[in-house]
Amino acid sequence: MKRVCILSFIMLFWAALSARAADLPEWNGFIEQDYGARLSRDTLTKHEDYNLLEQRLQLKTRYAVTGDNVFSDWNSVIRFKGDAVVDEYFQTTAYSEVRELNLAFRPSDLVDVKLGRQVLTWGTGDYLFINDLFPKDYVSFYTGRDDEYLKKPSDALRMSLYPEPANIDFVLIPYFTANTMPEGDRLSFFDSFQGGITGRASERSAIRPAMQAENAQYALRIYRNFDSAEGAVYFYRGFDPSPRSYLDEAAQQLFYERLDAYGTSLRGPFGSGIASIEMGYYHSVQDDAGDNRLIENSMLKWLLGYEQDLGNDLKLGLQYLCEQKLDYSAYSAALLPYDYVWDEYRHLLTQRITKLYKNQTVMLGLFNFWSPSDKDGYLRLSCAYDISDQWKLTVGANLPWGEDEITDFGMMQKNKNVFMRLRYGF
Amino acid sequence: MLKKLMVVSAVLFLAGNACAQELSVDEIVAKANNSSYYQGKDGSAKASMVVTDSQGRTRQRQLTILKLNVQAGGDQKYYVYFHKPNDVKGMSYIVWKHVGKDDDRWLYLPAMDLVRRIAASDKRSSFAGTTFLYEDISGRSIDLDTHELTASDDAYYTLKNTPKDPASVEFSYYTMKIDKHNFVPMSAEYFDKSGKLYRTIEALEVQNIQGYPTVTRMKAADLNANSNTVTEFSQVRYDIGLQDEIFTERFLRTPPQQWLKE
Repeated sequence: MKRVCILSFIMLFWAALSARAADLPEWNGFIEQDYGARLSRDTLTKHEDYNLLEQRLQLKTRYAVTGDNVFSDWNSVIRFKGDAVVDEYFQTTAYSEVRELNLAFRPSDLVDVKLGRQVLTWGTGDYLFINDLFPKDYVSFYTGRDDEYLKKPSDALRMSLYPEPANIDFVLIPYFTANTMPEGDRLSFFDSFQGGITGRASERSAIRPAMQAENAQYALRIYRNFDSAEGAVYFYRGFDPSPRSYLDEAAQQLFYERLDAYGTSLRGPFGSGIASIEMGYYHSVQDDAGDNRLIENSMLKWLLGYEQDLGNDLKLGLQYLCEQKLDYSAYSAALLPYDYVWDEYRHLLTQRITKLYKNQTVMLGLFNFWSPSDKDGYLRLSCAYDISDQWKLTVGANLPWGEDEITDFGMMQKNKNVFMRLRYGF
Repeated sequence: MLKKLMVVSAVLFLAGNACAQELSVDEIVAKANNSSYYQGKDGSAKASMVVTDSQGRTRQRQLTILKLNVQAGGDQKYYVYFHKPNDVKGMSYIVWKHVGKDDDRWLYLPAMDLVRRIAASDKRSSFAGTTFLYEDISGRSIDLDTHELTASDDAYYTLKNTPKDPASVEFSYYTMKIDKHNFVPMSAEYFDKSGKLYRTIEALEVQNIQGYPTVTRMKAADLNANSNTVTEFSQVRYDIGLQDEIFTERFLRTPPQQWLKE
């Protein structure tokens, strides 16, 4: 896979260079130095005093197909975006990652198609996702990389249809991409097989769905505007993108259980801000009755959001997320005496405050997760300064905490860091 | 007979002139608002903005603006596509401007494929980090101020505009000089709550494009911060046949290339 990435990177670069100067597509991108220092020593991971140290080069370009051919008639655009990274945390040689390599075209007035590697996002949440089950990278999120890296690309076919009553997005993802979750090398986490927060000592593995036609994932969104409000319904057929179920306890194997999700959302002006509501029903296909202690229960998730502009470049955002295990009595009856027990409900509140200074060149941001039911939380602080149109300096902190070690944020409590990113864009 | 005719036509001419002089304040304001923001059914322009701070350092913004009038003198739709600087290149922005209620705004961040709904009740915040405010770009509703004609000479009307809700804005009033011949506002001066001039906007160049007098170069200055922004509009075109669907999520995610070519 890695080799394919590097090869396509080089081929595209070569193709661009060998094109006639007049046809040469414009290349943009940035180079960046990232560093994240741990706030407390974590001897469990590979390096006890930092969890991020890397240099990154991003290159992107787009090429609108011209000439006398069908792709030109279809307004086809080829996009490429790739990163080359020297990851000093792992002291390896550079690796590369193609984040976008796709062909977008419009075969008719009512149809858009995007084929290839692309980032996919929908839904109304802010750092919270119910009906967006496309892959995420939570290691990037917790270590302080740019927000862009929270979303992982998918190799997909996206077809958008625009008939009169409502718009339809249909996404086919032939093979599975998992969320990037802490695995112990860089970020310690709660490993139930070890019975506590674990780093490199973790021996657990997560088994991906086999690459076969029946494991293809489908995602569907049907949406439209009602005056100023936007309504949508969602459907997803695939797998839980995080490994939450147990395949083989003795072999310390987890797996990504089958998941069907059905949801809806509505977003629009409310009071003097923007309000949103989103819900999703997660059907755990392999644990239909909810009585399998090794497989995730079916769930109902609700998200309420509100964002307001308070003036003077100060914005406030609030969210409330409620998650309910739907077959809780069957689940709790099936538990064995030594099992970790999850609550039926999880309540999560978030607050976002953003303030801009100096003609919007300085941004102070705070994002706080707080779960009164899990008794944990995660405070994200950042300060970004646009030194010039080219240079940007970002400093910030990731501060997860929790009373217990098994909860989502509580298990991250040893990974508190302060980070800085210095970027030169071109 | 001939003499009589001449007298009559002279009287008519003077009367006509007098009528032109005697436009009501509301008519002047409406015509100025129209010439600033509502010319043509729709239009497109490339804007190149240079922000200069107190130490002489400059920043650049380059964007394409598409505009569609929904109602004459009322609601409008805007599509903004950012070409520069690099960190915002490829972002697109849609505003459904409403008169009498908050605008609807959406921002598309291509790196995350994310359509964000922007809560933006404060129209007097900086537009894209420049000295121009949102209201300078999309227009301040004329119903929000009371207008007085304070002077009128051969070339200009001078208006004083006082906000009906003083708490909602940072100025106590602003004056405007409007060109009598084409009703293009040539300058605006904003005074703070203590009556001190702190902000100016000037039209530096006006061109006639397809019969519409159009400001093609303008400057906004913040006298307190000692910074300014000069905006140049190029490739200005009116009545290009923009469709309503351009101003939807579809084209936010897939920018309409035919209107964005350099």
